[in-house]
Amino acid sequence: MKKRYGMVIDLERCTGCRACTVACKIENSMEHCTGIRVETVGGAWPDTPAGEYPELSMGFLPIACMHCERPPCRDACPTQAIYQRPDGAVLIDESLCNDCQECLAACPYDALVYDEDKALVRKCTLCSARLDQGLEPFCSKCCGYGAITFGDMGDPRSIVSKLAARSDAYALKPESKTGPAVIYLPAKASRGFQHGRRVSHR
Amino acid sequence: MKKEATEKVVRTASPLACGPGCGLMACVKDGVLVKVEPGDFPGTGHVCARGLTYPKLVYHPDRLRYPMKRLGKRGEGKWVRVSWEEALDTIAARFKEIGAKHGSSSVSFVMDMMGILSVDVLLGFLGACQGTFILPAGCGDSAGVCADRVTYGSQWWFGEDYTTNFDKPALCLVWGNNPAETDFFKWRRIRDAKEGGARLVVIDPRFSTTASKADVYVPIKPGTDTALALGMMNVIIDQSLHDVSFIISHTVGPFLVRSDNGMFLREKDIVSGGLDKYMVWDTGAKAVRCHDAASGSPALTGSYRVGQMECKPAFQLLKELAAQFPLEKTSQITGVSTEVITKLAVAYAGSKPAASYRGMGCQRTFHGDITFHAINTLAAITGNISFEGHACFELNHVAFLTRGVPNLLPLMQLYDAAISGKPFPVKSLWVSRHNPINQEPNINKMIEEVLPCLDLLVVADMFMTTTASYADFVLPVCSFFECTDLIQPVGNGSHNYLQLQQKAIEPLYESKSDIDMIISMVGRMGIEGFLKEPLEELANTLLASGHPSMEGTTLERLRAGPVLPAAHALPNFSTPSGRLEFYTERLRQFGQELPVYKQPLEGPGSPLADKYPLVLLTPHTKYRTHSSFANVAWLRELDPEPVAEVCSIDAKPRGIKDGDLVRVFNDRGEVRLKARVHQGVRPGAVNICQGWSPGDYVSGTHQALTHETINPVHQAIYEPNASLYDVLVDVQPVKEA
Repeated sequence: MKKRYGMVIDLERCTGCRACTVACKIENSMEHCTGIRVETVGGAWPDTPAGEYPELSMGFLPIACMHCERPPCRDACPTQAIYQRPDGAVLIDESLCNDCQECLAACPYDALVYDEDKALVRKCTLCSARLDQGLEPFCSKCCGYGAITFGDMGDPRSIVSKLAARSDAYALKPESKTGPAVIYLPAKASRGFQHGRRVSHR
Repeated sequence: MKKEATEKVVRTASPLACGPGCGLMACVKDGVLVKVEPGDFPGTGHVCARGLTYPKLVYHPDRLRYPMKRLGKRGEGKWVRVSWEEALDTIAARFKEIGAKHGSSSVSFVMDMMGILSVDVLLGFLGACQGTFILPAGCGDSAGVCADRVTYGSQWWFGEDYTTNFDKPALCLVWGNNPAETDFFKWRRIRDAKEGGARLVVIDPRFSTTASKADVYVPIKPGTDTALALGMMNVIIDQSLHDVSFIISHTVGPFLVRSDNGMFLREKDIVSGGLDKYMVWDTGAKAVRCHDAASGSPALTGSYRVGQMECKPAFQLLKELAAQFPLEKTSQITGVSTEVITKLAVAYAGSKPAASYRGMGCQRTFHGDITFHAINTLAAITGNISFEGHACFELNHVAFLTRGVPNLLPLMQLYDAAISGKPFPVKSLWVSRHNPINQEPNINKMIEEVLPCLDLLVVADMFMTTTASYADFVLPVCSFFECTDLIQPVGNGSHNYLQLQQKAIEPLYESKSDIDMIISMVGRMGIEGFLKEPLEELANTLLASGHPSMEGTTLERLRAGPVLPAAHALPNFSTPSGRLEFYTERLRQFGQELPVYKQPLEGPGSPLADKYPLVLLTPHTKYRTHSSFANVAWLRELDPEPVAEVCSIDAKPRGIKDGDLVRVFNDRGEVRLKARVHQGVRPGAVNICQGWSPGDYVSGTHQALTHETINPVHQAIYEPNASLYDVLVDVQPVKEA
């Protein structure tokens, strides 16, 4: 079975805590950038809602490299610096990168970043060095609420495959036809006051 | 020969006052803390964005490296490096001098963190020199505890688990709390309940992250939660949705209250030679009887003549109070629609069990104690009380008090103690890991009136905080990765694990742990042969209380991970009656025997509202723990600067646009900062997330707006609380020159 590492991100569980963002920075030495940002689905500023008080809504959307099956960044790279590992991780070979930044524009998810400190294009590597040691990416490890689940999308029995098979699971920008390995589960709609399951009191 | 890299992972825990005491794995390479990972916790594990930045905090370039003595005026920023010997010798000499002049109670210490061994060593030291320990909970967290003390008889620092500790709640009601941002363990419990089918209702003037996850968001006017709870009780009692058998069995509901003096009727009141027993009205016999006599069921309602006395069951009095909060009136006070109040009341009473998560936010008003009292009462009359989970560790604190017991001074009384010497003259203050000038209300009074009354101010911190900048001596304290301690849980719906904070790296620069500093002061203060034991022995002493809760809790077990208190028999409630006292004799003198609604000191109904129509809220965020972490660049990238959050309904008539420079002001002072106009703050409120220091603002600080008014009820029961959200202000645009 062909390995294809990926992540399922459950937006119902994500609280926008930014632990993933900071975890990525420390794991990958990204001093002024990060491989996973968290967008607020709501108002104009981070952590603000949409709507009019008190009819409001706010959600969070973590975005990292989607480790696409057909990565547009790889196709856009004139020096073949971007490649895909057999396990699915899309990586940049820094020694081949000529700093042209074509890849930044090519990515429909805006997932690549320019690291000013290192004068290099950086991106989520799925913590490939950790994967090689049999560890999960540090962002999913640090996601205390279990919003980020890492696993092998190529294995139909894996947890990520089962989550990704949920009828409400979706990928961002399907029109880009990139075949992302990061799949989202939507936040649940508010259910109002209707009683929850009744449990007898002890 | 090349030296082998040494790597180790140390299980430790955070003592920071964010509350939960998260377990952390400290990854150390060649003696350097390189990374922090989530600590193993049964069933879970967690590290927040702040916790992940710890290496940045530990190796922050601004860390204080050596002791310094002030040159020039206080706050001028001129310092000279001194040795530890010189610093501690001088401080001890000054303490002795001040103590000789003003009495030993004038020597005071405040320490704000959850490292219980440090606190006990400090208490022991202060007991030996008859100094003063300043209790820090009043910096916003002590009002609710007052209610828990009277209703449950509890002893926890921050609040009880009686209303949260359910395996599978069917409804989670969150009051003025944002655990999705500020308390991992509490939110995990709520989240799990919600995933199990429970409805989540969030009551908050702000549309917080927690509110964004709710099934129902209840937008309430700040400071009116008590009225909402009473309005809900009225609906519940009116529709007979209350839990009669729970009220009869576990609360003071059936106990007769004398109308002449508001006291519970006792057997001795009506029978000569009678006992202190509480009396009820027997509906079968139509006569008064002792509550514990086996007979017909006691009345919960009605009015009864017992001899010459008119008596009513406590529940009847509650019913009468609740009846004063019909829907329209409750809606008018709280800003919550009558429809929502009704539905909420019916859902709360009908969901078994329904958990109530009470946040510090809803008790940061002058009458915040009553808010917890009201929420506890609501839980009591619907039977939404769990008797389990309020078990806590009984540590051997007294072992540290063999040389004496220190004077205790609640933080909010520091102002008076320094200025007017009441209840005793605090003339010298050692502050450790606390930033009172920044975090306590009324900064102008603090700097202009309190500070000049202090003959000596010593600050032990990792950084030059606002408070440290005014000190006479600044001492470098090490980070908690550099020392060992025990971390006690705080309860209140979070978790009950005791944890070991284990030293992972050596103290940096010349920094020392609090315990090392205090022990270095013992001899200097002329105390002989005290606190000489090695740290491990001190820790073992603390664990050896012999209390059944401590059974099986050893340092060895704690080294491996968190430990729960051993199961032990506990009374349901430690109140005078042994029952849940929603009616309390203790607060009769204040007219608070029941959870009456009292308006905030500074609220929309107060005369001040004409001049200052907006309520200021200053809550916590995920980006800071009080003022800690505000200097971490990675968190500043995410939350760069303070902003005054206002709703467009308030912004527009004031001519305020998003991003404008504004002044937020009242008669006490002002702060200038950028406005952020968005919809997540209730019209009538302004929100400035706390933790910023004066230097972060364009000018002023939000603490220039707050006040330190003491509520005598808090003082009588526990500690006066800072009414940080009981503040009226207005906002104006500032024309930039």
